[in-house]
Amino acid sequence: MSDNQLNVVVVCGSLRKASYNASLARTLPALAPPGMAVKAAPGWETMPVYNHDLHADGKFPAEVTAWGDSIRAADGVIIVSPEYNWTIPGGLKNAIDWVSRFKEVPFKEKPVALQSCAGGALGGARMQYHLRQCLTSIDALIFGKPEIFVSFSAKKFDEKTVELTDQPTIDIVKQQLVGFEKFIRRVNGRH
Amino acid sequence: MANVITICGSLRKGSYNRIVMNALPGLAPDGMQIKEAPPIGEFPLYNADIQNSTGFPAPVQALADAIRAADGLIFNTPEYNFGVPAPLKNAIDWVSRLPNQPFAGKPVALQSASPGPVGGARVQYDLRRSMVFLDAQTLNKPEIFIGNCAQRIDEKTGKITDEQTIGFIKQQLIAFAKFIAAHGGRS
Repeated sequence: MSDNQLNVVVVCGSLRKASYNASLARTLPALAPPGMAVKAAPGWETMPVYNHDLHADGKFPAEVTAWGDSIRAADGVIIVSPEYNWTIPGGLKNAIDWVSRFKEVPFKEKPVALQSCAGGALGGARMQYHLRQCLTSIDALIFGKPEIFVSFSAKKFDEKTVELTDQPTIDIVKQQLVGFEKFIRRVNGRH
Repeated sequence: MANVITICGSLRKGSYNRIVMNALPGLAPDGMQIKEAPPIGEFPLYNADIQNSTGFPAPVQALADAIRAADGLIFNTPEYNFGVPAPLKNAIDWVSRLPNQPFAGKPVALQSASPGPVGGARVQYDLRRSMVFLDAQTLNKPEIFIGNCAQRIDEKTGKITDEQTIGFIKQQLIAFAKFIAAHGGRS
Protein backbone atom coordinates (compact mmCIF):
# COMPACT_ATOMS: atom_id res chain seq x y z
CA MET A 1 0.00 0.00 0.00
CA SER A 2 1.50 3.32 -1.04
CA ASP A 3 1.28 6.52 0.97
CA ASN A 4 -0.45 8.02 -1.96
CA GLN A 5 -3.22 5.41 -2.09
CA LEU A 6 -6.68 6.89 -2.01
CA ASN A 7 -9.22 5.70 0.56
CA VAL A 8 -12.75 5.48 -0.77
CA VAL A 9 -15.88 4.34 1.08
CA VAL A 10 -18.96 2.72 -0.39
CA VAL A 11 -22.48 3.48 0.77
CA CYS A 12 -25.30 1.11 -0.18
CA GLY A 13 -28.90 2.35 -0.47
CA SER A 14 -30.58 -1.00 0.16
CA LEU A 15 -30.89 -3.03 3.35
CA ARG A 16 -32.19 -6.36 2.10
CA LYS A 17 -29.82 -9.32 2.16
CA ALA A 18 -30.27 -10.37 -1.46
CA SER A 19 -29.92 -6.83 -2.81
CA TYR A 20 -28.27 -6.47 -6.23
CA ASN A 21 -26.95 -3.08 -5.18
CA ALA A 22 -25.36 -4.55 -2.06
CA SER A 23 -23.80 -7.27 -4.16
CA LEU A 24 -22.37 -4.73 -6.59
CA ALA A 25 -21.07 -2.69 -3.66
CA ARG A 26 -19.21 -5.75 -2.36
CA THR A 27 -17.40 -6.23 -5.68
CA LEU A 28 -15.88 -2.78 -5.67
CA PRO A 29 -12.84 -3.39 -3.46
CA ALA A 30 -11.66 -6.12 -5.87
CA LEU A 31 -12.48 -4.13 -9.02
CA ALA A 32 -10.76 -0.94 -7.89
CA PRO A 33 -7.47 0.17 -9.46
CA PRO A 34 -4.37 -0.28 -7.25
CA GLY A 35 -4.14 3.39 -6.36
CA MET A 36 -7.53 3.31 -4.66
CA ALA A 37 -8.53 1.25 -1.60
CA VAL A 38 -12.28 0.77 -1.38
CA LYS A 39 -14.18 -0.36 1.70
CA ALA A 40 -17.71 -0.24 3.04
CA ALA A 41 -18.81 2.80 5.06
CA PRO A 42 -20.50 2.05 8.41
CA GLY A 43 -24.17 1.16 8.11
CA TRP A 44 -27.00 3.67 8.31
CA GLU A 45 -29.79 1.29 9.22
CA THR A 46 -29.90 2.06 12.94
CA MET A 47 -30.10 5.82 12.49
CA PRO A 48 -33.38 7.17 13.83
CA VAL A 49 -35.73 8.75 11.31
CA TYR A 50 -34.60 12.37 11.01
CA ASN A 51 -36.19 14.76 13.48
CA HIS A 52 -34.62 18.09 14.33
CA ASP A 53 -35.82 17.76 17.92
CA LEU A 54 -33.43 14.82 18.37
CA HIS A 55 -30.37 17.06 17.93
CA ALA A 56 -31.74 20.37 19.20
CA ASP A 57 -29.27 20.09 22.09
CA GLY A 58 -26.41 19.86 19.59
CA LYS A 59 -25.76 16.16 20.18
CA PHE A 60 -26.13 13.78 17.27
CA PRO A 61 -26.83 10.03 17.49
CA ALA A 62 -23.61 8.00 17.63
CA GLU A 63 -24.23 6.15 14.38
CA VAL A 64 -24.83 9.43 12.57
CA THR A 65 -21.53 10.79 13.83
CA ALA A 66 -19.74 7.56 12.85
CA TRP A 67 -21.16 7.67 9.34
CA GLY A 68 -20.33 11.34 8.97
CA ASP A 69 -16.77 10.82 10.22
CA SER A 70 -16.26 7.98 7.76
CA ILE A 71 -17.42 10.14 4.84
CA ARG A 72 -15.32 13.06 6.02
CA ALA A 73 -12.16 11.00 6.35
CA ALA A 74 -12.56 9.39 2.94
CA ASP A 75 -10.99 10.75 -0.23
CA GLY A 76 -14.14 9.84 -2.10
CA VAL A 77 -17.52 8.17 -1.73
CA ILE A 78 -19.28 5.72 -4.03
CA ILE A 79 -23.04 5.46 -3.55
CA VAL A 80 -24.64 2.27 -4.87
CA SER A 81 -28.40 2.48 -4.59
CA PRO A 82 -31.69 1.17 -5.91
CA GLU A 83 -34.50 3.47 -7.03
CA TYR A 84 -37.65 3.56 -4.91
CA ASN A 85 -40.67 5.29 -6.40
CA TRP A 86 -38.63 7.02 -9.07
CA THR A 87 -36.21 8.55 -6.60
CA ILE A 88 -33.81 8.09 -3.66
CA PRO A 89 -34.73 5.43 -1.07
CA GLY A 90 -35.94 7.02 2.16
CA GLY A 91 -33.32 5.25 4.29
CA LEU A 92 -30.39 6.56 2.24
CA LYS A 93 -31.92 10.02 2.14
CA ASN A 94 -32.25 9.79 5.92
CA ALA A 95 -28.50 9.32 6.35
CA ILE A 96 -27.80 12.23 4.01
CA ASP A 97 -30.37 14.45 5.74
CA TRP A 98 -28.75 13.73 9.13
CA VAL A 99 -25.15 14.52 8.17
CA SER A 100 -26.24 17.59 6.21
CA ARG A 101 -27.06 19.13 9.58
CA PHE A 102 -23.50 19.06 10.93
CA LYS A 103 -21.62 22.36 11.11
CA GLU A 104 -18.98 20.75 8.92
CA VAL A 105 -21.03 18.83 6.37
CA PRO A 106 -18.94 15.79 5.40
CA PHE A 107 -20.08 15.83 1.75
CA LYS A 108 -18.83 19.36 1.17
CA GLU A 109 -16.35 19.25 -1.74
CA LYS A 110 -16.26 15.47 -1.44
CA PRO A 111 -15.85 13.51 -4.67
CA VAL A 112 -18.84 11.20 -5.12
CA ALA A 113 -19.54 8.58 -7.77
CA LEU A 114 -22.92 6.94 -8.32
CA GLN A 115 -24.00 3.43 -9.31
CA SER A 116 -27.40 1.78 -9.38
CA CYS A 117 -28.93 -1.62 -10.16
CA ALA A 118 -32.56 -2.10 -11.04
CA GLY A 119 -34.87 -4.81 -12.26
CA GLY A 120 -36.10 -2.77 -15.17
CA ALA A 121 -34.76 -0.97 -18.19
CA LEU A 122 -33.71 2.38 -16.78
CA GLY A 123 -31.28 0.90 -14.27
CA GLY A 124 -31.97 3.46 -11.55
CA ALA A 125 -31.43 6.55 -13.72
CA ARG A 126 -34.23 8.59 -12.13
CA MET A 127 -32.79 8.00 -8.68
CA GLN A 128 -29.30 9.01 -9.77
CA TYR A 129 -30.40 12.32 -11.27
CA HIS A 130 -32.27 13.12 -8.05
CA LEU A 131 -29.27 12.13 -6.00
CA ARG A 132 -27.17 14.50 -8.08
CA GLN A 133 -29.66 17.24 -7.24
CA CYS A 134 -29.52 16.36 -3.55
CA LEU A 135 -25.73 16.14 -3.46
CA THR A 136 -25.48 19.49 -5.23
CA SER A 137 -27.33 21.09 -2.34
CA ILE A 138 -24.59 19.88 0.01
CA ASP A 139 -21.79 20.91 -2.32
CA ALA A 140 -20.42 17.50 -3.24
CA LEU A 141 -18.24 17.06 -6.32
CA ILE A 142 -20.12 14.53 -8.40
CA PHE A 143 -18.23 12.38 -10.86
CA GLY A 144 -19.61 12.38 -14.42
CA LYS A 145 -18.87 9.57 -16.87
CA PRO A 146 -19.04 6.74 -17.29
CA GLU A 147 -22.38 6.44 -15.53
CA ILE A 148 -23.30 3.07 -14.06
CA PHE A 149 -26.96 2.04 -14.60
CA VAL A 150 -27.28 -1.74 -14.26
CA SER A 151 -30.58 -2.55 -15.94
CA PHE A 152 -32.36 -5.95 -15.99
CA SER A 153 -30.31 -6.97 -12.99
CA ALA A 154 -31.86 -10.41 -12.68
CA LYS A 155 -29.95 -11.41 -15.80
CA LYS A 156 -26.66 -10.01 -14.58
CA PHE A 157 -26.41 -11.44 -11.09
CA ASP A 158 -26.37 -15.14 -10.18
CA GLU A 159 -29.83 -16.35 -9.24
CA LYS A 160 -28.64 -18.20 -6.14
CA THR A 161 -25.56 -16.37 -4.89
CA VAL A 162 -26.51 -12.89 -6.22
CA GLU A 163 -22.94 -12.48 -7.39
CA LEU A 164 -22.31 -10.16 -10.32
CA THR A 165 -21.69 -12.33 -13.35
CA ASP A 166 -22.17 -9.97 -16.31
CA GLN A 167 -18.78 -9.20 -17.82
CA PRO A 168 -19.75 -5.96 -19.66
CA THR A 169 -21.05 -4.61 -16.35
CA ILE A 170 -17.86 -5.60 -14.57
CA ASP A 171 -15.83 -3.92 -17.29
CA ILE A 172 -17.69 -0.62 -17.19
CA VAL A 173 -17.61 -0.55 -13.40
CA LYS A 174 -13.82 -0.97 -13.56
CA GLN A 175 -13.71 1.84 -16.08
CA GLN A 176 -15.69 4.12 -13.77
CA LEU A 177 -13.43 3.31 -10.84
CA VAL A 178 -10.33 4.17 -12.90
CA GLY A 179 -11.98 7.42 -13.94
CA PHE A 180 -13.06 8.15 -10.37
CA GLU A 181 -9.51 7.73 -9.08
CA LYS A 182 -8.26 10.23 -11.67
CA PHE A 183 -11.12 12.61 -10.76
CA ILE A 184 -10.36 12.45 -7.05
CA ARG A 185 -6.66 13.12 -7.61
CA ARG A 186 -7.46 16.05 -9.87
CA VAL A 187 -9.91 17.73 -7.53
CA ASN A 188 -8.04 16.90 -4.32
CA GLY A 189 -4.75 17.97 -5.84
CA ARG A 190 -3.22 14.60 -4.98
CA HIS A 191 -1.27 13.66 -8.08
CA MET B 1 -68.45 15.39 2.28
CA ALA B 2 -64.92 15.04 0.96
CA ASN B 3 -62.72 13.53 3.66
CA VAL B 4 -59.16 14.70 3.23
CA ILE B 5 -56.14 13.66 5.27
CA THR B 6 -52.86 15.49 5.68
CA ILE B 7 -49.33 14.16 6.11
CA CYS B 8 -46.56 16.34 7.50
CA GLY B 9 -43.07 15.75 6.10
CA SER B 10 -41.31 17.04 9.21
CA LEU B 11 -41.26 15.27 12.55
CA ARG B 12 -40.16 18.14 14.77
CA LYS B 13 -42.77 19.60 17.10
CA GLY B 14 -42.26 23.22 16.12
CA SER B 15 -42.36 22.57 12.36
CA TYR B 16 -43.62 25.42 10.15
CA ASN B 17 -45.21 22.85 7.88
CA ARG B 18 -47.02 21.33 10.83
CA ILE B 19 -48.39 24.79 11.72
CA VAL B 20 -49.69 25.14 8.17
CA MET B 21 -51.15 21.62 8.28
CA ASN B 22 -52.91 22.40 11.57
CA ALA B 23 -54.51 25.48 10.01
CA LEU B 24 -56.12 23.55 7.18
CA PRO B 25 -59.23 22.21 8.90
CA GLY B 26 -60.24 25.79 9.65
CA LEU B 27 -59.59 26.92 6.09
CA ALA B 28 -61.42 24.12 4.30
CA PRO B 29 -64.40 25.00 2.10
CA ASP B 30 -67.85 23.69 2.91
CA GLY B 31 -68.12 20.08 1.93
CA MET B 32 -64.52 19.25 2.88
CA GLN B 33 -63.30 17.88 6.17
CA ILE B 34 -59.56 17.78 6.83
CA LYS B 35 -57.70 15.86 9.51
CA GLU B 36 -54.20 14.54 10.09
CA ALA B 37 -53.27 11.06 8.90
CA PRO B 38 -51.81 8.51 11.34
CA PRO B 39 -48.18 9.32 12.17
CA ILE B 40 -45.11 8.36 10.15
CA GLY B 41 -42.43 8.90 12.79
CA GLU B 42 -42.30 5.31 14.04
CA PHE B 43 -41.89 3.58 10.69
CA PRO B 44 -38.67 1.50 10.59
CA LEU B 45 -36.32 2.35 7.73
CA TYR B 46 -37.60 0.47 4.69
CA ASN B 47 -36.17 -3.02 4.30
CA ALA B 48 -37.84 -5.60 2.08
CA ASP B 49 -36.61 -8.36 4.40
CA ILE B 50 -38.91 -7.01 7.14
CA GLN B 51 -41.97 -7.11 4.94
CA ASN B 52 -41.09 -10.61 3.76
CA SER B 53 -40.57 -11.96 7.27
CA THR B 54 -42.76 -10.26 9.87
CA GLY B 55 -44.95 -8.42 7.38
CA PHE B 56 -45.87 -4.76 7.11
CA PRO B 57 -45.48 -2.90 10.41
CA ALA B 58 -48.71 -1.78 12.07
CA PRO B 59 -48.09 1.99 11.62
CA VAL B 60 -47.62 1.36 7.88
CA GLN B 61 -50.93 -0.50 7.65
CA ALA B 62 -52.65 2.26 9.64
CA LEU B 63 -51.43 4.95 7.26
CA ALA B 64 -52.32 2.89 4.20
CA ASP B 65 -55.82 2.27 5.50
CA ALA B 66 -56.29 5.97 6.19
CA ILE B 67 -55.12 6.86 2.67
CA ARG B 68 -57.45 4.26 1.17
CA ALA B 69 -60.42 5.58 3.11
CA ALA B 70 -59.73 9.22 2.29
CA ASP B 71 -61.10 11.10 -0.70
CA GLY B 72 -57.91 13.11 -0.96
CA LEU B 73 -54.49 13.59 0.56
CA ILE B 74 -52.48 16.74 1.23
CA PHE B 75 -48.72 16.68 1.83
CA ASN B 76 -47.37 19.51 4.00
CA THR B 77 -43.65 19.21 3.60
CA PRO B 78 -40.36 21.01 4.05
CA GLU B 79 -37.50 20.54 1.64
CA TYR B 80 -34.38 18.72 2.84
CA ASN B 81 -31.30 18.91 0.65
CA PHE B 82 -33.23 19.91 -2.46
CA GLY B 83 -35.61 16.99 -2.08
CA VAL B 84 -38.16 15.01 -0.12
CA PRO B 85 -37.41 14.71 3.62
CA ALA B 86 -36.37 11.23 4.61
CA PRO B 87 -39.25 10.60 7.08
CA LEU B 88 -41.77 11.31 4.33
CA LYS B 89 -39.94 9.41 1.59
CA ASN B 90 -39.51 6.42 3.90
CA ALA B 91 -43.25 6.42 4.64
CA ILE B 92 -44.07 6.60 0.94
CA ASP B 93 -41.60 3.79 0.22
CA TRP B 94 -43.32 1.52 2.76
CA VAL B 95 -46.88 2.25 1.75
CA SER B 96 -46.01 1.89 -1.94
CA ARG B 97 -45.12 -1.77 -1.36
CA LEU B 98 -48.54 -2.87 -0.19
CA PRO B 99 -50.64 -4.90 -2.56
CA ASN B 100 -53.25 -2.54 -4.07
CA GLN B 101 -51.06 0.36 -3.07
CA PRO B 102 -53.28 3.13 -1.78
CA PHE B 103 -51.89 6.05 -3.77
CA ALA B 104 -53.27 4.71 -7.05
CA GLY B 105 -55.98 7.02 -8.32
CA LYS B 106 -55.82 9.17 -5.19
CA PRO B 107 -56.23 12.96 -5.52
CA VAL B 108 -53.18 14.63 -3.95
CA ALA B 109 -52.35 18.26 -3.23
CA LEU B 110 -48.97 19.66 -2.21
CA GLN B 111 -47.98 22.49 0.12
CA SER B 112 -44.57 23.47 1.38
CA ALA B 113 -43.17 26.10 3.71
CA SER B 114 -39.52 27.07 3.83
CA PRO B 115 -37.46 29.74 5.58
CA GLY B 116 -35.73 30.37 2.25
CA PRO B 117 -37.12 32.22 -0.73
CA VAL B 118 -37.75 29.23 -3.01
CA GLY B 119 -40.48 27.97 -0.70
CA GLY B 120 -39.98 24.28 -1.30
CA ALA B 121 -40.34 24.17 -5.07
CA ARG B 122 -37.73 21.46 -5.47
CA VAL B 123 -39.36 19.11 -2.99
CA GLN B 124 -42.73 19.50 -4.63
CA TYR B 125 -41.50 18.70 -8.14
CA ASP B 126 -39.70 15.68 -6.71
CA LEU B 127 -42.82 14.52 -4.91
CA ARG B 128 -44.84 14.93 -8.09
CA ARG B 129 -42.55 12.47 -9.79
CA SER B 130 -43.03 9.80 -7.12
CA MET B 131 -46.78 10.42 -7.31
CA VAL B 132 -46.71 9.89 -11.07
CA PHE B 133 -45.04 6.53 -10.58
CA LEU B 134 -47.63 5.62 -7.96
CA ASP B 135 -50.44 6.71 -10.28
CA ALA B 136 -51.85 9.32 -7.93
CA GLN B 137 -53.67 12.35 -9.32
CA THR B 138 -51.79 15.44 -8.20
CA LEU B 139 -53.53 18.81 -8.35
CA ASN B 140 -51.60 21.12 -10.68
CA LYS B 141 -52.72 24.57 -9.56
CA PRO B 142 -52.75 26.67 -7.51
CA GLU B 143 -49.33 25.75 -6.12
CA ILE B 144 -48.57 26.60 -2.50
CA PHE B 145 -44.91 27.56 -1.91
CA ILE B 146 -44.63 29.49 1.34
CA GLY B 147 -41.22 31.13 1.01
CA ASN B 148 -39.63 33.21 3.78
CA CYS B 149 -42.06 31.42 6.04
CA ALA B 150 -40.57 32.79 9.26
CA GLN B 151 -42.12 36.11 8.30
CA ARG B 152 -45.49 34.54 7.56
CA ILE B 153 -45.91 32.05 10.37
CA ASP B 154 -45.77 32.70 14.11
CA GLU B 155 -43.95 29.82 15.78
CA LYS B 156 -45.02 30.92 19.25
CA THR B 157 -48.74 31.00 18.61
CA GLY B 158 -48.63 28.25 16.00
CA LYS B 159 -50.58 30.34 13.49
CA ILE B 160 -50.16 31.56 9.94
CA THR B 161 -50.06 35.35 10.23
CA ASP B 162 -49.81 36.32 6.56
CA GLU B 163 -53.25 37.00 5.09
CA GLN B 164 -52.07 36.53 1.53
CA THR B 165 -50.82 33.02 2.33
CA ILE B 166 -54.11 32.18 4.00
CA GLY B 167 -55.94 33.43 0.94
CA PHE B 168 -53.85 31.29 -1.43
CA ILE B 169 -54.35 28.20 0.73
CA LYS B 170 -58.12 28.73 0.75
CA GLN B 171 -58.06 29.01 -3.04
CA GLN B 172 -56.10 25.77 -3.36
CA LEU B 173 -58.48 23.93 -1.06
CA ILE B 174 -61.46 25.08 -3.12
CA ALA B 175 -59.70 23.91 -6.28
CA PHE B 176 -58.84 20.64 -4.56
CA ALA B 177 -62.47 20.08 -3.64
CA LYS B 178 -63.47 20.47 -7.30
CA PHE B 179 -60.58 18.21 -8.33
CA ILE B 180 -61.65 15.48 -5.90
CA ALA B 181 -65.22 15.69 -7.16
CA ALA B 182 -63.98 15.35 -10.76
CA HIS B 183 -61.47 12.56 -10.17
CA GLY B 184 -63.10 10.46 -7.47
CA GLY B 185 -61.26 9.38 -4.35
CA ARG B 186 -61.60 5.96 -2.91
CA SER B 187 -59.26 3.19 -4.04
